[in-house]
Amino acid sequence: MNVELAKPFIKAAVDVISTMAFVKPTVGKPYVKKNNVAAGDVTGLVGVTGDKNGSVSLSFSRGCAVAIVKNMLGDEIDDIMTDVKDAVGELTNMISGQARAGLAEKGLVFQGSTPTVVMGDGHTISHMAKAPIMAIPFTTPDGDFTIEFCFE
Amino acid sequence: MATLDGFREKEFLDQITILNEISGSKDPETLPGLVELLKTPVGDTSIDYMVVNALNAVLSSNENKVIEGLTDDHPGYRILCIRVAGEHAFARAAGPLINIAETEADPDRLMEILTSLARIADTSATPTFRKYLDHEDPFIKSSCIEALGKLKDQDSIQYFKGMLAESEAPDRFEVCDITTWKAVEALASFAQDETIGFLVEKLHHKNPTVRRIITDALITIGAPTVPMLFTAFESGDTDNRILAANVLGFVGDRSGADGLVAAFDKGMAEDPNVRYAVFEALGRIGTMKGIICLVDGLSETEELTLMAVIGGLEKHVNPGMISSLTDLIVKADDQSDRLAKAVIATKATGIFDALYENAGAGDALIDALAESRDPEIHEEFRAVLTDIGGGRAENDIARLPTLSTGTRKALAADDSRSMCAMHRAILTDLGFETFMATNGEEAYDYVEQGEEFDIVITDMNMPVMDGMELVGKLRNTPGFEDVPIIMVTTESESAQQEMAEKAGVTAFVTKPFKPDTLKAKIEELLG
Repeated sequence: MNVELAKPFIKAAVDVISTMAFVKPTVGKPYVKKNNVAAGDVTGLVGVTGDKNGSVSLSFSRGCAVAIVKNMLGDEIDDIMTDVKDAVGELTNMISGQARAGLAEKGLVFQGSTPTVVMGDGHTISHMAKAPIMAIPFTTPDGDFTIEFCFE
Repeated sequence: MATLDGFREKEFLDQITILNEISGSKDPETLPGLVELLKTPVGDTSIDYMVVNALNAVLSSNENKVIEGLTDDHPGYRILCIRVAGEHAFARAAGPLINIAETEADPDRLMEILTSLARIADTSATPTFRKYLDHEDPFIKSSCIEALGKLKDQDSIQYFKGMLAESEAPDRFEVCDITTWKAVEALASFAQDETIGFLVEKLHHKNPTVRRIITDALITIGAPTVPMLFTAFESGDTDNRILAANVLGFVGDRSGADGLVAAFDKGMAEDPNVRYAVFEALGRIGTMKGIICLVDGLSETEELTLMAVIGGLEKHVNPGMISSLTDLIVKADDQSDRLAKAVIATKATGIFDALYENAGAGDALIDALAESRDPEIHEEFRAVLTDIGGGRAENDIARLPTLSTGTRKALAADDSRSMCAMHRAILTDLGFETFMATNGEEAYDYVEQGEEFDIVITDMNMPVMDGMELVGKLRNTPGFEDVPIIMVTTESESAQQEMAEKAGVTAFVTKPFKPDTLKAKIEELLG
């Protein structure tokens, strides 16, 4: 996988989360995971197809997800579980869209699937490609989240 | 011909049509107008986005304009030209891009320039990539590594080697940086003796992820790695020999099997773990010489080694081997018992089917099967016997005891088929209902499905999810905080064990081990 694919996703994640949730995430040092499992409390996952095929996931720690939802919805939270699910799905969709637009400008055209959201403490998500997974950790004052890429 | 005259005053739909037409015709006449629209946007996101696309299309057939634009005052247009130069690999843009890269301080723009240069792939850019190898941004650094690997820059080999060596530093080895990953891939892309040799040397990297990446890279290179793997096998210690034999097996080249047989004959596989790895590899490759060596291995007495032999032969059932095996099994000595047990424990149904034709061998196998307390094994061989059919098979099915499933449950994960068979035999012997997995993820799937276990046994190095991560996840799963976890490993370094202990392993068993050792450890932990 070329690392150039990752940059637009990082930029999109920072942009979208700072705009929508008023939280400015700090990018940590990227690393490689051997297994194809994404771990977190709430994860949004999108499949990406085009010049290359793969998947991208955003896994939020519980604290981070709740803080983002509160920032997005204010005091209008009815059911925190449903709202977290919706918010993570929405954020994943926006980030995937913005990142793909960024990649399209570089001549790399991708289509994205509708995001799937998975919840549960320490759940696992399988990325479909066999290639190593690049993980980029982010920190916010309310908790961490990680973006993972897996491209063939 | 579409024209941009009075564009801003036009209706939205007309604007879209015009831009679409330009994207198709790539008419160079429209360039000044488009640049003007880019520099002073209309303000509608979709139109502005289409302007970029149209510009991209027009510039794609206008190399001179792109080169001019690389130094344009307008940052947006400059970036666009940088991208277009890369996208269409304009060779003449390499020089100007190299010049800009020299002084570019903004990391995002630098990344764009380097990405374009990498796509143009002109060797004149190698000094630029080398210059930014030490950049603090890991993505910029990784792009340079990728590019230098693609350009096969011989002078960078030393640097990449250094990176890989440094990644084993005590404060760094626990994480696999993306730069380490890229360095391995770049070294692999050279595919020359020196780089392959170095990767082989690093097969035993302290970080399991890096080790996996190196293994995969060597397997991808394939046959050219064989000579270097033998050098490692012949000069290395036990661990190196095991790893080299494993990779040789996965590479699957015939010369690998010949070499392993030769090493075996030279007495270089005396260590039981090495022997085991060699037999597994020979089973995977399956050349005539390898199969003969496996047949010789039928005289092994270690249970585990014998399982590797039977497991290997199962993939290459042939009349000659079956006749040797039949002779050994009908002898009714200790070795016959061991062999029959190994056939049953490895679920070698192909061999079973062939041996069963001989009534004596069939009886010995059914005796071994009757002794097994593993319901899954019973079920599998019952199915084989049903397929065989006939009076003898029916009688034998009737002879088999009905098993009650154990009340205690055990989970075992190992990517080696023979080790799995061994664990299964040991655990069912102790009366456990046994759940087997070939990697950590499969193992954890059982847990997610709500299974509870009294004990967990896991290998350290497995594909997909390794033992370390499995243990970490289990310890964070309610109900698994205190379940005893035994890690079976050949790792000799204390660093690995320390990481595993930190992750929550209760006890270690070092391979090779006698089944009784593991049994005793399980009994000890469960009291």
